[in-house]
Amino acid sequence: MNETRLCGNPDLLMSYLYDEVDPRARRDFEAHLRTCEPCAREVADLRAVRGDLAAWTPPEAVLDFRIVRGAAPRARFAWLAVPELPAWAQFAAAALVAGIAVGISGLDVNYHPQTGLSVRAGWSKPASSVPGPVAAVKAAPVQAAAVQAAAMPGAEAPWKADLAALREQLRTELQPTAAASTAAPASGQTRLAASLVPMSDAEFMSRVRPLLTASETRLQREMALRIGQVVRDMDTQRRADMARVADGIGVLEGRTGAAVATQREMMNYLMRVSQVQK
Amino acid sequence: MTATDEELVARSVAGDSDSFNQLILRWERPIYALAYRQIGREDDARDVVQEAFLRAFRALPGFKGQAKFSSWLYRITLNLCRDWMRRERRAPFVQPPEGVDVDDLVSSEPSRAESVETMVTRKDLSRRVASAMLVLPDEQRSAILLKEYHGLTFQEIAELQGCPLSTVKTRLYQGLSVLRRELERRGQGPVRPEGSGQP
Repeated sequence: MNETRLCGNPDLLMSYLYDEVDPRARRDFEAHLRTCEPCAREVADLRAVRGDLAAWTPPEAVLDFRIVRGAAPRARFAWLAVPELPAWAQFAAAALVAGIAVGISGLDVNYHPQTGLSVRAGWSKPASSVPGPVAAVKAAPVQAAAVQAAAMPGAEAPWKADLAALREQLRTELQPTAAASTAAPASGQTRLAASLVPMSDAEFMSRVRPLLTASETRLQREMALRIGQVVRDMDTQRRADMARVADGIGVLEGRTGAAVATQREMMNYLMRVSQVQK
Repeated sequence: MTATDEELVARSVAGDSDSFNQLILRWERPIYALAYRQIGREDDARDVVQEAFLRAFRALPGFKGQAKFSSWLYRITLNLCRDWMRRERRAPFVQPPEGVDVDDLVSSEPSRAESVETMVTRKDLSRRVASAMLVLPDEQRSAILLKEYHGLTFQEIAELQGCPLSTVKTRLYQGLSVLRRELERRGQGPVRPEGSGQP
């Protein structure tokens, strides 16, 4: 390697400065530096610049970036956010709504020997307390439709299963009577009404009312349990948020104290410097 | 055993966002440092870092591993910084080097072992260097940042900047030479280490 290639060769100079040079070229260049004062000075200056560059540090920053798939925006007050309800809770809520709807509508179940079984909502009650023939539900399959109409669409109230069981029981008990009456020429309304004759009002109501009462009690108990759980969850979340806030305040207080101490130290330093300059 | 970048990239491509979050944790500081030294504003540097990782995440399926993940990330960041400077139509912002800003000194958190005198000197030198870097063309500044602060090889910088190896060394040489003159002009002559010039 001749002296011309060693002197004023930025390529080699940078490779040497950043230690990306093969050993032989390094030896040659170092030998050159021992004899070439301008090149030695340039290397020293560039090393000094690199030393100065090391002083340039970026400020501390809170980064904490994260990729979150499908994240919902966080509520401002997290403890107020109601968590997503499980299926059983949604069912209980639907049943509660259905129960309330039934209560508000004033569901009235009646049986009359002439008109048959009738299920009425409060808002559809006629002025007379006696159910009219038009509103009366005459057949067992239609009873279910009437009951569903009184409840919220799609709501599966717990008492429905009990009512369906009762309906099946009644149908079984009345099956022979209905079969006998089919032989006699009569209108459908008369026939079905006659098929229900063996059961009195008092008997039917005595069967239905306990079921409704039990269902209502069960709903109230489940609702109370659910409300208690929601209250406990909210209280726990609130306590956790308060703890985080307290931690944050503690950190801020610590930083403020450190900043004050640094500022005090800085003022002392400035005072010393100003006294030296005087 | 710590997973390599390549392993984390493969898992991320397969849909594991936690692996990508590990990559973020590993690289957010260097990327922030690069962005800050390029554009000189803390808030904007943070925005650039966030956007860089977001773009990387979206483009991850197209990343075939021809280059190192970090080099790819550096390239995205530098492109974003260049876009930012073009969009803002202004030069990188740096605090004026004159005087010592006590508020800034207080707001920073120096290490416990660092005395106030050392801190003042370091801050002052840091400002002078930052100010001197402003006069460099973008390519020279990027080359110096990638070499000095991120330890990339000449070859990696050449691939990242899309230029020959010799061009990278020339940019570095010219950039350092300009910095030397600028620091001398600003009253910060290069302090030669003892025995410098002699290998």
